[in-house]
Amino acid sequence: MVSKEAAKLVAVSVMLACTVVAQSKKEYRFAVGPRAGVSVMNPYGSISVKPSPNNTVIVDAVLHSDKVEVDNNQNGNRVDIQSHLLSGADPESGRVDYEILVPADASVTLHSSIGSMRAEKLHGDVNLEGPGSEVSLRDISDAHVHVKTMNGTVTLYNVQNGHVEVDSLSGEVTLKSVNGSLVQVVSTSGKINYIGDFGNSGEYRLTSHSGDIEATIPEWTSADVSARSVRGEVHDDIPLQPKTHTSFPLDKGRAFAGTVGRVAVSSTVVLRTFSGKIHLRKRSDKQ
Amino acid sequence: MNCVELKQSLAEVEDLSGAEQRAHLKACPACSALVQELNQIVAAASELRAADEPSPRVWNSIEIALRREGLIRPQTAQRVPVASFSARWGRARWLVPAAAMLLLVVGVYQRQESSSTRSSQPTAVVAPVVNPSGLNDEDFIQEVAENTPALRIQYEENLRRVNDSIRDAQSALDESPNDEDARRSLMDAYQQKSMLFQMAMDRSLE
Repeated sequence: MVSKEAAKLVAVSVMLACTVVAQSKKEYRFAVGPRAGVSVMNPYGSISVKPSPNNTVIVDAVLHSDKVEVDNNQNGNRVDIQSHLLSGADPESGRVDYEILVPADASVTLHSSIGSMRAEKLHGDVNLEGPGSEVSLRDISDAHVHVKTMNGTVTLYNVQNGHVEVDSLSGEVTLKSVNGSLVQVVSTSGKINYIGDFGNSGEYRLTSHSGDIEATIPEWTSADVSARSVRGEVHDDIPLQPKTHTSFPLDKGRAFAGTVGRVAVSSTVVLRTFSGKIHLRKRSDKQ
Repeated sequence: MNCVELKQSLAEVEDLSGAEQRAHLKACPACSALVQELNQIVAAASELRAADEPSPRVWNSIEIALRREGLIRPQTAQRVPVASFSARWGRARWLVPAAAMLLLVVGVYQRQESSSTRSSQPTAVVAPVVNPSGLNDEDFIQEVAENTPALRIQYEENLRRVNDSIRDAQSALDESPNDEDARRSLMDAYQQKSMLFQMAMDRSLE
């Protein structure tokens, strides 16, 4: 019995050792100037980007097998990183997980087919694209933020003074404390959640085909809101000063339009869906 | 500058005024051909401004030009596990449906603009001339299955959803031709489908 257990232990140890041997870690460093450009293309695996303390781009890559290589190139103030799949690579063996430090003012472009993409504490432009990727951005300011996904979930938290465009086919999109001159989300069937105050004077357009749209706003919000579901329902928990003129019919239960808060400093908010539900609700103290 | 860098730079320096771009295009026939085709697509898009509906010749001329330049190729029976460089550019044939849908969106937009300036006339029903099923959805899925098999089911599911959304919006617009939101829903649905093709194309060019 003891020898059987021992044999199992040895087998497991060998398997673990093989896994460790198959993985390899590589580090690359690049000196860059202000407002550098950093691009990462990684078919399989995660990418995490955080700010570095100086003008250096540091790339830590964990390669899960020898069927993938990391190509790196610096051209002036631009750094390109690409996972290069070799013959026979699949999502498991072709996986590379990146942890990258960039100057906070760098412009970052990330592509991944499968794997999470995260970026935080940056104030350069952020462009993320991944069909099946989970996207998470937080603490971004004064930046253009563009996100494209197919079915990955998208979460943006604390994006200030941004120009935000999110396109998603079926992934759920959540924006919390996101404001700026333009905040636009377009989705086919994914749900869109907005939690925040719609800023001061921006344009907010949340559009879906069949996905529900829920906007939760605090009491002090100032916004000019219009909402319509062509075939679905709308619900409004907040008293609005109704508009007298709209470009669409204000059918009860299908559309509403009006102003909340102070008109002079209000943002423009357009919530539009074809067959989903729209719900404008007041934020409770707990949220 | 290599071919991949040139492709990436097209989004940033569209007029190809960069010295590196020009130097690469002189030396690389494949990229030069691609840029030529993109220019033809842009030129074809401008034709739409003068017409209520895109002529079938626009689509045909794009397809013929892409075939002549070798950017569209017949499916080969055997494929190498990792695509060669030339095969990667061959997959730029996904520019055809993606460009077609972008042109369609432009066409729908132009019709919207022109109909709004003719307020005394009854508003025309926007009827896209391209049937979604005519955009080679099956080929698209087959290509996805070969390039990104792990995402095939997701692509199929999302293609079905976006085609459903196009049908829904078209149906609503047929019922209420003056409904601006139904019209926008149709445009959004086509743009979403265009994005789906674009994502698959980007992946195949990696």
